[in-house]
Amino acid sequence: MTGFAQGLLTALLRDTPLITPQLFLMTVATLMLWPGDLFFNRNEKHKWAPITLVILAITAFLVTKVPDGEGFSRMFRMDGLTRGFQMLCILASAGAVTLSVKLLDSLKQQTVEYYALILFSLAGMLFLCGASDLISVYFSIELMAICIYILVAYLRDRATSVEAGMKYFLLGAFSSGILVYGISLVYGAAGGVSTNLVDINQALALTPTTSNLLVYAGVLMVLVGMAFKVAAVPFHMWAPDAYEGAPTPITAFMATAPKAAALAAFLRVFGTGFHGVSSDWVLPLCYIAGASMILGNVAAVRQESMKRLLAYSSIAHVGYMLLGVLSGDPKAGAQAVWLYMLIYIVMNTGAFAVVIYLQGKGEGERIEDFKGLGRKHPVLAFAMMIFLLSLAGIPPLVGFFGKFYLFKLAIEQGYVTLTVIALLTSAVSAYYYLGVVNQMYFKEPEGEAAPMGSGSVFIVALACILVLVGTAFGPWLLDWAGKIFWV
Amino acid sequence: MEHFIQTIGRNMFAIFGVMALGGAAFMIASRSAVHSVLGFLFAMLCIAGCFLSLEAEFLGMAQILVYAGGIVVLFLFVVMLVEMSKKKEKEVFQLQSRYAVVAVLLGAALFLGVFRKVLFGAASPEALVLRPELAQGLNVAGQNAQAVSRGLFADYLLPFEILSVILLVALVGAVVLAKTERV
Repeated sequence: MTGFAQGLLTALLRDTPLITPQLFLMTVATLMLWPGDLFFNRNEKHKWAPITLVILAITAFLVTKVPDGEGFSRMFRMDGLTRGFQMLCILASAGAVTLSVKLLDSLKQQTVEYYALILFSLAGMLFLCGASDLISVYFSIELMAICIYILVAYLRDRATSVEAGMKYFLLGAFSSGILVYGISLVYGAAGGVSTNLVDINQALALTPTTSNLLVYAGVLMVLVGMAFKVAAVPFHMWAPDAYEGAPTPITAFMATAPKAAALAAFLRVFGTGFHGVSSDWVLPLCYIAGASMILGNVAAVRQESMKRLLAYSSIAHVGYMLLGVLSGDPKAGAQAVWLYMLIYIVMNTGAFAVVIYLQGKGEGERIEDFKGLGRKHPVLAFAMMIFLLSLAGIPPLVGFFGKFYLFKLAIEQGYVTLTVIALLTSAVSAYYYLGVVNQMYFKEPEGEAAPMGSGSVFIVALACILVLVGTAFGPWLLDWAGKIFWV
Repeated sequence: MEHFIQTIGRNMFAIFGVMALGGAAFMIASRSAVHSVLGFLFAMLCIAGCFLSLEAEFLGMAQILVYAGGIVVLFLFVVMLVEMSKKKEKEVFQLQSRYAVVAVLLGAALFLGVFRKVLFGAASPEALVLRPELAQGLNVAGQNAQAVSRGLFADYLLPFEILSVILLVALVGAVVLAKTERV
């Protein structure tokens, strides 16, 4: 038995460096809850935000230092794909934390748990980016999602927030059930020996034709479960309500960070694990992607709430990004998705920063509230216009760059119809984005808004500059994207 | 006398099984909720005995810890906190008896449909083992507690650790959503 224990210790010492960022995050978040919280009295809780930002910076530094490799019985894998998407998750979390400070202050809802839950959720995302086994994929998704359920319902005095949390929780639990059932079917069809993605890919290639139906059902259920998590049509029902009810910084968080992590898992599960049986899932995924683009953009046209508009637009953007998952060349697909996600995080966080800035005491998230913004706050209105145009993909803004790269890949891979749908729906999206611009510049201002100066000004300025000049750094962006690869 | 003891030893599983059924029947039949919980406790202990007689020591102990320890206490708490009057109890519980009969009949039909072959068909020439190599591994490990530890601390270490964090998060979440005052 000593042999076993010694082997365990050796494996542990060998594998632990792979997950140092996650271990750091989880340890620090636990210490924040206790004893950390004792050091700040009731009125000083907002100080947790800068501390959280420092923790995020250290985590980002640790991510760059983690060596490539695979460990924990091949359940976690550190490679270019993992590192790239982990960075995106950290970036999006940092944005959300910065946006939270003033809003929570004005609502008198500052607690240490809020920031700790963001960190725990981030740890789950970092695990998810590198999960190379269906079991670890499932558990990472749960860790990530459970924290977000709680954060969505965080403003528990507000009926919308509680309702959003409840809806998100129920549908999330339901989709997890579908996901885990699909995993069990795939596991059974692959011989019930291993849940490792590489093993499953090999085993599925050898399954007899009699178990085709089993494989098909399993792969489809995993697809449905994952589509729920990224809120792709027709599994998007929870998204608009959850986005609208959640505290706005959490909406910004939900629209970016978990999506980046879930797309990394999407790429790895379908690019590695189910690559051999792609005939089973390519067509359904095509429909999902197409439906997301069409419904997301068309439904956004009729929205009156800015948060709902951005929710539907995020559904549409997921549709575009699924084009990258469809790519027959997983590496090029992953690079395009990474690039698009990076750009999306920047412009989306910027747009939410403007919304939060205008929100005052948590009210005023309707599109009408943007009336005459060009007169009242010219700089803010200009930034918002830049973000919206970039979300619509209008050149020379950086949003166009990401879209161009993604659509070019999709055409190369032969998805011409889908790309045409994507282009047409982009035109539709320009209509509703420009509708907001119209409100800002060509409508008379109404009443007095109570904007709050905050860290969101910083985010707005930074994101605006990045979106404006990002395209000029195209070669660097492509260079970074080139590092996104996996075996 | 010795023969008698040996017979009992050989039939431990059946004895515990019958006792567990008795406990379960008592749980359903008794009018008082507290008595029901006690019947449930008895049934769970007997099932633990069944596991022990099958040489699954770890599972037996876990059964006692989790069910007899944790869940029964939880039930008792709920029963004592809710505190229904006799009349209301009767109303609530007897309302469902009609549906219960239908559910039981459906369950029995399903059970028979699935296990008809196993119960009445010819015996399989070899024992049904889902994963022969796993069974071999269990034999090598000698004791099933070791096999469990191998699963938890070697093969599935990472999911196990993530799961422990999930439990912590659930706890924090309960506090966040239920604590009376904030800031």
